[in-house]
Amino acid sequence: MPAPPPDARSFLSEVVSVTPCGADGVLLALRPERALGAVRASRFFMLRREDGLSPAIPRPFSIYRQSGDSIEFLLKVMGRGTRALAACSPGQKVRTIGPLGNGWPALDGDGPPWVMLAGGVGVAPFHMAIEQALAGMDGRAPARPEQLFFLFGAANAGMLYDLAAFERLPARVFTATVDGSHGARGNVLELLSDLQRRGVIPQRVRLAACGPERMLEAVQHFADERGLECWLSLESLMGCGVGICNACPVPTKPDGPRGSWPNVKCCVEGPVFKSDEIALHA
Amino acid sequence: MAKLGVTLAGLELRNPILSASGTFGHGLEMQHFAPPGLLGGLVSKTVTLAPRPGNPNPRICETEAGLLNSIGLENRGIDYYLREIAPTLRAAECVIVTNIGGERVEDFAELAARLDAESAVDALEVNLSCPNVQGGKLPFATDPKTAEAVLRGVRAATRKPLFAKLSPNVTDIGEIARAVEAGGADAVTAVNTLLGMAVDWRSGKPGINTVMGGYSGVAVKPVALRCAWQCVKAVSIPVIGCGGVGKAEDVLEFLAVGCRAVQVGTSCFSDPSHIARLPAEIDALLEAAGFHELAARIGILQAGGGAPSCKPGVAVKA
Ligand SMILES: Cc1cc2nc3c(=O)[nH]c(=O)nc-3n(C[C@H](O)[C@H](O)[C@H](O)COP(=O)(O)OP(=O)(O)OC[C@H]3O[C@@H](n4cnc5c(N)ncnc54)[C@H](O)[C@@H]3O)c2cc1C
Ligand SMILES: Cc1cc2nc3c(=O)[nH]c(=O)nc-3n(C[C@H](O)[C@H](O)[C@H](O)COP(=O)(O)O)c2cc1C
Ligand code: FES
Repeated sequence: MPAPPPDARSFLSEVVSVTPCGADGVLLALRPERALGAVRASRFFMLRREDGLSPAIPRPFSIYRQSGDSIEFLLKVMGRGTRALAACSPGQKVRTIGPLGNGWPALDGDGPPWVMLAGGVGVAPFHMAIEQALAGMDGRAPARPEQLFFLFGAANAGMLYDLAAFERLPARVFTATVDGSHGARGNVLELLSDLQRRGVIPQRVRLAACGPERMLEAVQHFADERGLECWLSLESLMGCGVGICNACPVPTKPDGPRGSWPNVKCCVEGPVFKSDEIALHA
Repeated sequence: MAKLGVTLAGLELRNPILSASGTFGHGLEMQHFAPPGLLGGLVSKTVTLAPRPGNPNPRICETEAGLLNSIGLENRGIDYYLREIAPTLRAAECVIVTNIGGERVEDFAELAARLDAESAVDALEVNLSCPNVQGGKLPFATDPKTAEAVLRGVRAATRKPLFAKLSPNVTDIGEIARAVEAGGADAVTAVNTLLGMAVDWRSGKPGINTVMGGYSGVAVKPVALRCAWQCVKAVSIPVIGCGGVGKAEDVLEFLAVGCRAVQVGTSCFSDPSHIARLPAEIDALLEAAGFHELAARIGILQAGGGAPSCKPGVAVKA
């Protein structure tokens, strides 16, 4: 049975700061009570306040940034769980379970360029992805800045969370908003098609995407049609995050590379999947 | 250090804390979070004869004070369990309980027969909350005759201690408890989830795919406590409390009404390592109150008239 990663633990962290971010988000910086090793981008932590204000079930969040002894999360306020976390004050303690999940594959410089597609708060796993790709992952050739295209889409400019931080990174950054309030009008895939049509981005690329399920379905379809290598970071509903509740099944492609069982657990076998392993619209 | 040991159906537990089925994996997946050596026992997720892929999403829905689930007993079946999981449990440093489920009376006996020779398994827990396909889809635990028949079949197939896990969704749980005792159960686990549902009034969408599902968590504790007490009064075999246990106080409350041990379910999701800290928290509570032996706290409920019939367990060294 898939088990939680061997480095995952349950511990308390101290809230360092809570900073508003975009229209409905916050940056939550935590200092874990025990030192963490370097965490791979797109791994995640389950977070929960223990003072009675959080719901009983902790909520999953991608690690956004890591510096010194603190880890940072980018939260979009959705409901009870995120509201409670966004209302934390510095000095408070938060139950922290992780690091969980697998993270992105090696985003290396040895093949076609990488196009990173972020939808709304799906941007969270990309800040460290770009940093780690440039630094080199798993001993592979580091990606060069011109091999990294970061396409950030959202409903409106207020949901292009922490865009300025991405613009400071040495990658090529493009934006799209559905209401046209920032960058191109439309969604992130329309933006990609347009940039490819104009020759800004080549046809042969590798894709890494995170965002709402409907967006990921469209990205999967886009990659299938063109035969592109594609990795998806899923934001499934989770109960435990550590593989013990069976609440996070992701349907697999029949007779695909994930074996014969009809689903995999997003928390311990993901949250990153190769697009051709899973059947999002099953 | 208070003595925390209890005996249960002939098994010696270093403390009264077991994981609940379906909330702590099938085997030792959680050993880095909660070392088995700190627990009384581990109960597996339900194992069935044939593999079951489980229900479609969404499988859980958190409500104001509890959790609804309709996982659909996802598991890879008994062959896989015996081949891949049971061998990894042989060196486990706590009592290992395999929870079994079936759709027909004979399924349970067959599962028990398959597990009988596996040395890693110390006891079986019979999940009577599975739908009874033969009898029209109602769970086995809602009819005393079929519940007894299931236990009889299992009893004939194995010498391992048997826990019968009951459903709270019945009029008189004491009647079912008596039936499983008559069928040969060595202990009763009270209880499985309550039947519940949730709906979004805007979209009309149910919270979980099956509309109705199992409700668990802190909200169900008073119901579970009541059920456990009714079982304690009804039978002379030990009762294992289950439902809404999260804190050391909860454990001592279930023991106070006469339970010999407890299972911790939904609260494992809040913090999967807490279950391993519970024994020390219970010890601290007992010592602070001047009690040095947990077993002496069993069945202390002052219920004017209806004194619990369950005798306190014999303590063993922790
Ligand atoms: C691996 C992983 C990484 C994630 N990383 C981040 C992150 O970095 N930042 C971030 O803000 N969020 C992230 N999420 C999503 C986040 O976990 C949910 O938004 C959060 O659980 C919502 O909790 P809540 O109590 O605030 O909302 P709830 O009260 O539970 O729900 C409020 C509303 O949000 C919807 N909702 C709840 N969960 C999700 C979800 N997973 N996807 C889409 N809609 C949902 C519900 O249907 C409901 O309409 C991640 C999820 C996963 C699985
Ligand atoms: C997600 C989930 C899955 C469960 N799966 C099983 C199961 O497979 N077999 C079983 O007998 N009980 C199962 N249960 C019920 C629990 O073992 C327990 O009886 C119930 O949840 C009440 O305890 P709690 O409030 O501590 O969770 C499950 C409960 C949950 C929340
Ligand atoms: S969230 Fe519990 S098994 Fe994945």
